[in-house]
Amino acid sequence: MRLRSTMTVKLFRDFWRLRSQAVAIALVIAAGVGTMIMAVGLISSLAATRDSYYDQTRFADIFAPLVRAPEMLMAKVRLLPGVAAADSRITTRATLDVKQVAEPVTARVHSLPPARASALNQLVLRAGRLPDPRHAEEVVANAAFVTATGLVPGDRIGAVLYGKRVELRLVGAVLSPEYIYALTPGQIFPDNRRSAILWMGREPLAAALDLNQAFNDVLVRLAPGERPPEAERRLDLLLAPYGGVGAYPRDQQISHRFVVDEISQLTTMATLMPPVFLLVAAFLLNIVLARLVDTEREVIGLLKAFGFPVRAIMLHYVQLAVLLALGGLALGIALGGWLGRGMAGLYQNFFSFPFLAFRIDTNAYLLAAAATLVPVMLGAATAVWRAARLSPADAMRPEAPPDYSGHAVTNLAAALGPDEPSRIILRGLMRRPLRSALTVIGLAAALMLLVASQSPMGSIGRMIDLGFGIADTSDLAITFAEPRDARALHELERIPGVLRVQPFRAAGARIRSGHHEVRDGLSGVAPGGTLSRTVDILGQTSDPPPAGVVITGRMARQLHVGVGDTIEAAVTEGERPVLHLPVAAVLDSPFGGAATLDRAVLDRLLREGDTLSGAYLQVDARALPGVYARLKVSPMVAAVTVRAATLQTMSDTIEQNFNIQTFFYTGLAMLVVVGVVYNSARISLSERARDLASLRVLGFRRGEVAFVLLGEQALLVLLALPLGIWAGIELWRFLIGKFSTDIFTIPFFIDPRVPAQGVLVVVVAAAGTALLIRRRVDRLDLVRSLKTRE
Amino acid sequence: MGVSPPAKDMGPASARRPIYRIEGLTKTYGEGASAVHALRGVDLSVDEGAMVVLLGPSGSGKSTLLNILGGLDTATSGHAWFHDRDVTALDDAALTEYRRRSVGFVFQFYNLVASLTARENVSLITEISDHPMDPAEALALVGLDARLDHFPAQLSGGEQQRVAIARAIAKRPEVLLCDEPTGALDSQTGTRVLAALDQVNRELGTTTFVITHNAVIADIADEVLLFGDGRLIGRRHNASRAAPMGLRW
Repeated sequence: MRLRSTMTVKLFRDFWRLRSQAVAIALVIAAGVGTMIMAVGLISSLAATRDSYYDQTRFADIFAPLVRAPEMLMAKVRLLPGVAAADSRITTRATLDVKQVAEPVTARVHSLPPARASALNQLVLRAGRLPDPRHAEEVVANAAFVTATGLVPGDRIGAVLYGKRVELRLVGAVLSPEYIYALTPGQIFPDNRRSAILWMGREPLAAALDLNQAFNDVLVRLAPGERPPEAERRLDLLLAPYGGVGAYPRDQQISHRFVVDEISQLTTMATLMPPVFLLVAAFLLNIVLARLVDTEREVIGLLKAFGFPVRAIMLHYVQLAVLLALGGLALGIALGGWLGRGMAGLYQNFFSFPFLAFRIDTNAYLLAAAATLVPVMLGAATAVWRAARLSPADAMRPEAPPDYSGHAVTNLAAALGPDEPSRIILRGLMRRPLRSALTVIGLAAALMLLVASQSPMGSIGRMIDLGFGIADTSDLAITFAEPRDARALHELERIPGVLRVQPFRAAGARIRSGHHEVRDGLSGVAPGGTLSRTVDILGQTSDPPPAGVVITGRMARQLHVGVGDTIEAAVTEGERPVLHLPVAAVLDSPFGGAATLDRAVLDRLLREGDTLSGAYLQVDARALPGVYARLKVSPMVAAVTVRAATLQTMSDTIEQNFNIQTFFYTGLAMLVVVGVVYNSARISLSERARDLASLRVLGFRRGEVAFVLLGEQALLVLLALPLGIWAGIELWRFLIGKFSTDIFTIPFFIDPRVPAQGVLVVVVAAAGTALLIRRRVDRLDLVRSLKTRE
Repeated sequence: MGVSPPAKDMGPASARRPIYRIEGLTKTYGEGASAVHALRGVDLSVDEGAMVVLLGPSGSGKSTLLNILGGLDTATSGHAWFHDRDVTALDDAALTEYRRRSVGFVFQFYNLVASLTARENVSLITEISDHPMDPAEALALVGLDARLDHFPAQLSGGEQQRVAIARAIAKRPEVLLCDEPTGALDSQTGTRVLAALDQVNRELGTTTFVITHNAVIADIADEVLLFGDGRLIGRRHNASRAAPMGLRW
């Protein structure tokens, strides 16, 4: 009992002696535990929030747009097997004239969900009230749009609804499970100022669209355990005579897809990053403990000689290891909670959830504790086991000087080292290949993290350059409410200030090959276009082929087809022909996923004359306000995309996100570098104290002595740099597949500044740490170092 | 043994100049009640080329004196002139230069760099010296010409200590300071180490200080200094120096 308490005193004294190394280790552990707690917490918080939001608002499982069906048909829909609930609604597009916004606002308009508890896709009121059915002009809008434009309940909004100009009045702001991530058709990025979602009374909307006692959109909630494909097929059969465009499941609903993608990216991060940190931390702890045990050989021998069981001795050092790791674990849990709450706040801005409570499960804590403590305890136990295996007499005898007479090591270092200090460095590193390699790997991991986390910026920048520098150089893209003939083109050309017009044709289609199906649609492009061109991910522009279609790599993979194969396109509009199209080329373009073909060919296949779905416009900048004014009231226009505004929103969002990321990852990487270099150099210093003191006594200057110690670290850093850059680039290559979506494909591109900045961060952190260590070298107690026996 | 000629043409002992003049040297560690007086005022003069043995029990101040003379430690008060430079007045950088040019050290635990061979341990010093010996020549002087490319782990304790001596003298220092050079060695190995020191002193004329608490070793010295309680308590001049190889303890 007495001895045990003395051992406890020793435990805390040892801990205190190792405090500076403990801090360095704690920081690395904290980085690992912090990212883990944050990511795991965010994943479960996002998923739990999403699920309860979907449940509370009865979010639909299947969406089925169509042209027009009588309301009576809903009775049949509800009777379909597997259908638990179904609602009809009216959905359309509109152009809004909002006085706070210069450009025309593109809106999607839905009829309000029925006022009953069982209604699907219910709204959550954030401000104001829901429209009164007796007042046809009342609407509510998505809260993101209301906030971005500064509209307040009571404000008037001009709208062109199905070619008719109407005056609407905003009465409230709402959230919808359908628009957690609000993207209107044609958009690649949410632009909450220039795109809106409106809900209004069903009757006035039906009157405007001539859909009295009819609907053009069906929402279905499935019975528990029911799989979507079956219900979709039945729904498609039922709705086909009414212009059914094809039912699609929640998995293909764009907002839901974004939330799912975000969770999957977080999962990638949670599985990739914390292990890197925790492994580095486990390695650091291991070398610190191994060194401690080496210096305590005699103590261990003595304890054994006194009759202490090996178990008790191991327990003592395992306790020390746990003590060293606990600080990092606690710090990491606090850091993770803090980061998680911060990130949840960011997500709240990005995703429109009614609430997003950041919660951490007990499991996450247990996982973090296990991931930290298990490797640490194993490391400590193995280090002690080595010493405890010795007989007490052997353990108490000082260790023989390390033998460097291995021939390969000797000869190589002799060949490489120009002078004796360099040979000391080289032989020291080569004699401990595992430790040297792990140090290099730890440093390379930090650099990898920096390169991989900063590369998206360059790749996305490249994607924007391709998309907006080469592919689309128009000022405005106009989408018509429905396809028009060539006269519409002339109308656009006649608007004062419009310099050039390039038409396009887009047709909704379900594209199939065998039993694989996608819904990306067909895009007819005029060859030789100047405002919009087909560009691949490498920046090569091309004209559509004279025959056949060009599909994206993603579509080729989804359909399992290649060049020369034929795909089937079931067009979902007009005469709804089924086309058989040979694949002429597979080409990844940065934005969009439609199958592209020559517009003239598409017109012919659709058995239409010269028709267009919209046009790209080049406009004299001075004339823009006039052009906007015309478009805001034009009955044929359903959507206007302003290239400059899209670019601005994209770069603002990206910059904001990446500034936070850059700060975050740079901090984490620096923690790793400081932790690794500090511990590696401290251990080296402790092992080399006699050598270094000898050199000082022999007349070596401080700088020359520091060279021996820090040269070793510098060499390790130098070796880690190419490895880290390579690993970072490869990691980004791997991640890029996970970040690309249906809407955009991120090109693989490494901005040379990224590895350069990464190297700078690593070198600065390493050099700063080296300076700290150098002060210890300068303060070496020469006499004491030399008189103590190893 | 291919030994180079002596560095200096030594005159008779009486004509030699003092290499060290020491006046009122004190060293106190700590303050107040816990203060330890390692040196309590030492006055001494040592001639160039002398072989000096410092005898005394542990804590008598002999190591402290040597550390101050070698520029490893600083004095609390008093002066120690090396020729006409006061070592006690030098700053850290000047002390480093002093050690680099003028002083060779040999310690009880050899302090060889384990990752360098015998030859490389010596080269470590010759590379930073102005007029060094060839490392092989220095090792030959201590009888290790056959063990040039062995690492410390492959050498016996006595051999390691002789490498340490070769390393200390290879830069042709004016003084060689040896703190218990035979302390970790048996009698037979110890005498070989002392023989090497004796040879260096005779052939190179290097002023040599040897700390020991083994009184037998005092016979190889020109001058024996007796220390006790931080003071120089006795001084003896040997009329003739005994041959180290004949000593036994």
